Amino acid sequence: MKTKKNPEPVDVVIVGAGAGGATAAKVLTEAGMRVVGLERGPWLKPEHASGDELKYLNRNFIWQDPKLKPRTYRPNDREEAVVTNFSATPQVVGGGTTHWGGMVPRMTENDFKLRSIHGDVEGASLVDWPITYDELEPYYTRVEWEFGTSGLGGANRWEGRRSRGYPTKPSPLSQIGRTFATAMDKLGHSTFPMPQGMVTEPYRGRQPFSENGFWQQYPDPGTGKSSTLISFIPDAINTGLYDLRSDCYVSEILVGPDGKATGVRYQDEDGDEWVQLANAVIVCGGGIETPRLLLMSKSALFPDGLANSSGQVGRNATFHQYSFSVGLFDRDLTDPLYGWSGHYMSGCSFDFYETDESRGHILGSLIFPSNLGHPVNWSFPGRPTWGSAAKDADRELFNHTMKIGILLHDLPVESNRVDLDPTVTDAWGLPVARITHTPHWNDFAQEKWQVAKNGEVLEAAGARKVIPVNMERITGNTSHELGTTRMGDDPATSVVDRWCRTHDVPNLYVFDASFFPTATGINPALTIMANAWRCADQIIRVDSRGWAQG
Amino acid sequence: MGQAEWVTDPISTRDVDGPIYFSDEDWRTIEAAAARIIPTDNHPGATEAHVVRFIDRMLAGTQFVFAAADGEGFLRMQGREERAWAERIEQRRDLYRSGLIQLCDVSVGRFGAHFVALSCDQQDAVLEELSGEPKPTKFSFDAPEDDGLGGAPAGNQPVNEDFLSFFPLLVLNSRQGFYSDPVYGGNENRIGWAVIGFDGPPTLASTMDGSYTTKKYMIVDAEWPYERHPEVLRYRRP
Repeated sequence: MKTKKNPEPVDVVIVGAGAGGATAAKVLTEAGMRVVGLERGPWLKPEHASGDELKYLNRNFIWQDPKLKPRTYRPNDREEAVVTNFSATPQVVGGGTTHWGGMVPRMTENDFKLRSIHGDVEGASLVDWPITYDELEPYYTRVEWEFGTSGLGGANRWEGRRSRGYPTKPSPLSQIGRTFATAMDKLGHSTFPMPQGMVTEPYRGRQPFSENGFWQQYPDPGTGKSSTLISFIPDAINTGLYDLRSDCYVSEILVGPDGKATGVRYQDEDGDEWVQLANAVIVCGGGIETPRLLLMSKSALFPDGLANSSGQVGRNATFHQYSFSVGLFDRDLTDPLYGWSGHYMSGCSFDFYETDESRGHILGSLIFPSNLGHPVNWSFPGRPTWGSAAKDADRELFNHTMKIGILLHDLPVESNRVDLDPTVTDAWGLPVARITHTPHWNDFAQEKWQVAKNGEVLEAAGARKVIPVNMERITGNTSHELGTTRMGDDPATSVVDRWCRTHDVPNLYVFDASFFPTATGINPALTIMANAWRCADQIIRVDSRGWAQG
Repeated sequence: MGQAEWVTDPISTRDVDGPIYFSDEDWRTIEAAAARIIPTDNHPGATEAHVVRFIDRMLAGTQFVFAAADGEGFLRMQGREERAWAERIEQRRDLYRSGLIQLCDVSVGRFGAHFVALSCDQQDAVLEELSGEPKPTKFSFDAPEDDGLGGAPAGNQPVNEDFLSFFPLLVLNSRQGFYSDPVYGGNENRIGWAVIGFDGPPTLASTMDGSYTTKKYMIVDAEWPYERHPEVLRYRRP
C-alpha cells in the first residue's frame, strides 16, 4: 500500500452533489465555510449532452448501470427480494436536476398538515410537517430566482401566499399543452403553465432552451434547463471554498467516541481509500442511497446504523409512482400533436390536488400532459410489436398520441422501507439497498380514480381511444425517493429534526428528499432546494458557533 | 478514468460496409428477420435503414456503445463501466447465437430450407413460432378495452434489455436500429424518422449548438388566458 496523506479537514463535508447537496454547498460557501463535496458519479458537463435517445434512455449513460449498482425489491417481508433497477436516477454531479423535466410547483399549505386534516388513517403513518408553508416561502422564492425558473406567479390559485413572481415568463405552449388546456376548459376545469426549472428569456448570462425537444430524461447541452450543475455548483466553486470531488464513493460516516460525526470514508476512482474529516457531515445521496449509507455506518455506539435509535431510518418510503392515461387520436379527424416538439410538458392542473372525500379516497396529485417519448421508446399498451401491424401503428399514431399523467401522492407506511440486502452486493462489494414496498389501499384508489379522470379529459380532447395505464406495484419510475429519514420534533418517531439535523448525532444532517415526512403530489426538487437553503442558513446562524477551526 | 474523461475514438459504424461481428450467413439471416419485423412497403423498412448493421455494431464490442455527444466518433469506455458493458454484450451474443440456431432449426424443420430462402409468409410463421404468440394484428380504435397491463412498457422509462429473451430482444433491437440516431449504424439517411413523421435533428451536433429546433411545431406566441388577471399582474416580473 502506498503512503498517503488524507486531505485536510474542512468545515463541512457534503455527500452528493444533486439538488440538496449543491444547494447546501452554495449557501455554506457563500457564507465563508470550507466545504468538500463527494459525488460518487462523474462530473459530466453540458458539452457531454446531446439529443441521443439511445444513449440516454436505452443505454443508461447517466442512470446507474444495474450491473454495477443493482438494487433489490420485494413487496413484503415474506417474499424474496429480486434484483431490479428500482428508481433509476442519475448518479452524477447535478443528480436528478440533470435529466429531469424541471417541474417546480410549490407545495400547498395543506401539504404541511395532512395529519391535522385527516387524522389517523389506518395502515398509514401520516404526520404533519414540523414546519409550515410560511416558513419555507422565502426560500422557495430565493431558489426560484437564484436557480432560474419560469412560470406565471398567481396563476396557481391553490398556491399559498407568494412574495414574488417567477423570474422568466412561462415556457411556450406545445400542441399537447393546448389540447390539454382546451379539453380541461371544456370540462369546467382550470389549467396553468407548468412552473419549470428553465429560463425562457436571457437571464443571468443564460440563454433560453433551443426547443430541440430533447428535454425529459436528457441533460441540456445549453443553458436553458436549470440544473445545479450549471447554477449552484458554479456559484459554490466561484467562492473558492468548494472542493467538489467527483467519482468518489462514500462508504461510511465516521463517528468519534463522543458520538459526533468526524467525517467520512470514501474511495476515489482509482480505488484508493481516504478519510475526509469535517466539523459537520451533510448527507444528500437521495432517499435510497442516504438510508443505505446510514445503515452501513454501523459502530459500537450505533449498532443499528447511524442516527437510527428510533428504528425509523429507511422507513415510510414513498416514491410518487407515475401513472397515466394514453389518448390515441385519429389522424383523419385530428391535427398532429407533434409530441416531440418543445419540452415534454407545458401545462398542468391542480384541480384534483386537494382532498375531496366524495372521490372515495384522500389526497391528490397535480396532473400534466406529455408525449409518449421519442421514436425508439414511443409506445402504448397493446401496441403491435412487429410486422406490418407494428409499422402501421407507428406510422398512423406516432404524431397522434399524448398522455396525461399523475404523480401518486402516496401515503407513508412504516413497513414500506429501504434497508440493506443481506446477500446482494454492488461492484464495490458493499450491500445494496433493498426496497420493501406495497402501496396503501388509498394509493390504489387515488391512482385509479385520477387515471380514469385523465382519460375523461383525453376523451373531451377528442381522443378516439383512451388506455389507462395503472400501476401493479411501485417501480420508482419518477426517480423521486422520499421519506426515509423523516423530519419531526419527536426523536422517538423521526430521524431528523426541523432543521434536518439528526436527533442522534448533533453534527449530522440529511438535506435530500429523505426528510419529507409525507410525499406531496408534486415534484420534490424545488422543495428539496428551498429546505436545504433554510437548513444551511441555520447551520450558519446557529450550529457552526463553537466549531473548531476547519 | 471517470466517465467525464473518456476520450473519443474517431471511428464510425460505417467505416466498413459489411459485418464486423456476424458471419456473412448470420448477417443475411438477421437482415431477413429484421425485414419481417419492420417490413418494406410503400415506405422503407428495416432493410433500407440498415438495421442489421446497427445490430452487428451493437454486438461488435464496447467501441460502439456511446456516440460522442456531437456524433463525431465514439467514447472509449473505461474501467468498471466498460467491463459491465462487455459482459452485457457477451450475454446478447449468446442470445443471438442460440436464437440464430433456433431460427435455422424451425425453418428447416417446418419448411425444409434456411430462413433466408423462405417466402415472407413462411418467414413470418417461423418468427411467430419463435415469439410464442400469434403474429400481431392491425391496431384498431374499436378493439375491446385494454386493461392497461401488459403490452408495451407502461411508464416514462424504457424496457430493460438485460432481461429479454431472444425474440423480444431482436424486435427491440430492430426498432432501435430503425429509429435511433443514424450514428449507431441504422436509420440510414433518417428514413426511419421519415416513415413516422419525426422531423428529427440532421446531426447530433445540431442539437447542441441550437441550430435544430422544433419551434415551428409549437404555438410559441400563444398567451395563457389569464395573462392580464389581477393576481397574475400582482406578481409580474420587474
